[in-house]
Amino acid sequence: MTLALRYAGVSLGYQGRAVLTDVNLELRAGQRLALVGPNGAGKSTLIKSMLGLVPVLRGEAEVLGGERGRAGYVPQTDTLDADFPISVRRVVMMGRYRRIGWWRPARTEDRRAVAEALDRVGLADRASHRFGTLSGGQRQRVLLARAIAAEPRLLLLDEPFNGVDVVSQEAIVRVLRELSADGAALVVSTHDFAVARELADLVCLLNGRQWAVGPPAETLTAGPLRRTYGGSVVDLDNDMVLIEP
Amino acid sequence: MNWWDDALHRATAEVVLAGALAGLIGVQVVLRRLSFFTMALTHATFPGVVAASIIGVNIMLGGVVAGAVVALGVAALTRRRGQDAAAATGVLLSAGFALGAALVATQSGFSRALSSFLVGSILTVGVPDVVTTAVVLVVVALVLLAGARPLVQIAFDRGGAEAAGLRLGAWDVVLLLTIEVVVVTLVPAVGTILALSLIVAPAAAARLWSDRLPLITALAVVFGVGSGLAGLWMSGQWNVAAGAAISLTATGVLLVSWLCTRLRTLLATTRSVVPA
Repeated sequence: MTLALRYAGVSLGYQGRAVLTDVNLELRAGQRLALVGPNGAGKSTLIKSMLGLVPVLRGEAEVLGGERGRAGYVPQTDTLDADFPISVRRVVMMGRYRRIGWWRPARTEDRRAVAEALDRVGLADRASHRFGTLSGGQRQRVLLARAIAAEPRLLLLDEPFNGVDVVSQEAIVRVLRELSADGAALVVSTHDFAVARELADLVCLLNGRQWAVGPPAETLTAGPLRRTYGGSVVDLDNDMVLIEP
Repeated sequence: MNWWDDALHRATAEVVLAGALAGLIGVQVVLRRLSFFTMALTHATFPGVVAASIIGVNIMLGGVVAGAVVALGVAALTRRRGQDAAAATGVLLSAGFALGAALVATQSGFSRALSSFLVGSILTVGVPDVVTTAVVLVVVALVLLAGARPLVQIAFDRGGAEAAGLRLGAWDVVLLLTIEVVVVTLVPAVGTILALSLIVAPAAAARLWSDRLPLITALAVVFGVGSGLAGLWMSGQWNVAAGAAISLTATGVLLVSWLCTRLRTLLATTRSVVPA
């Protein structure tokens, strides 16, 4: 299968100062990778590096064999302006701009792609609503639809389950499984062990550096989690519980 | 007699063009929440136009240079630890105004020009002023039309826009320069200080009436032009300063819009509470 991501001995940072080191991972088309770690661990930095927005200080990072434009990004909804006068349909259409061009009008195929993406996340009936009137979970699904409309080969999601209701979480997980079955590679950052276990084929544990990478059964266990979180994890019947210091 | 020979005709043409221009750029200012920053730009434009006038160069050049200095100053101060953008903008706002006042004090017999820089002097606009405003209106409309998708995406979702390959810095410079050019163009009509209300009030009022960007833009232009014409008419009718009358009318439009939308919300709530 095609390689979507290859990071070998990568250090990332700003102005020459590393914030994340020792990243070694490979992700193939159709695989789902969860980035797990505490706040400030470097999860967002790693995702931004995949978009080419954070410089690689050391090592080799290869994204989609150089076709970085085929990577889609789903930001956290709370970084967006909820008062903004924009309809759900128009937000999803933003996903098509790279294909349409920034100046040409949308074509029939673009409108069809937008409708299909909204249908896929279960929000076809909300197309004409203002984005800000939707619930947090629905907004996250709209942003997912926007990324789907771009037909990405690699989809990067920054904490997509933060502040999301159960219905939306289930809808997002279902759509992500479908997308990877269709051949897209996925990277999802989360601090929720249960979500990572349910969703991912591979888990990468981060906290300033990469502490472990592998299947959830090997990485979301007491040893690697203690190393990553600094001893504040207890094992309750195979369910890992994080103890906040 | 040529139609343009009448000062009132020139003033009317100028307020129509200036109102449309202010309404157009105002939508971007309101969407990006740049009202306070625009206020700093207007105050920084003041010393720029005064200096340009003293040296004897085009006042637009002086205004744009001064505005660019403030934009860079805010960016530089904000980057320093412990400084937020509002504090940096506030300091540069009053510093700009103080510099303008100091420059004016160096010249004797400058008070009349001072007042026209501050609050405009619509009845003294010449044909070149009107032509300049018309050209700037066309250019600004083209820039906003060509940049509509990038500007909207950046205003709505900065992170997503950057991830989609947009160069945020370049688009920010385009927008700030466009705002500054509009501010300077509005000086003959409403002056540097009053330009802010003609830029922000019509767009903020339009935002209250609609959630659709094309309609908001159209309404902002209508409110801007309407405020200009109504202000000019009131100025002639009651012998008040035109710049002030235009500015107050724009503020009135915002106030009435706010009251209407409040009333609408209140009625909707009452209807849903009291069954028919």
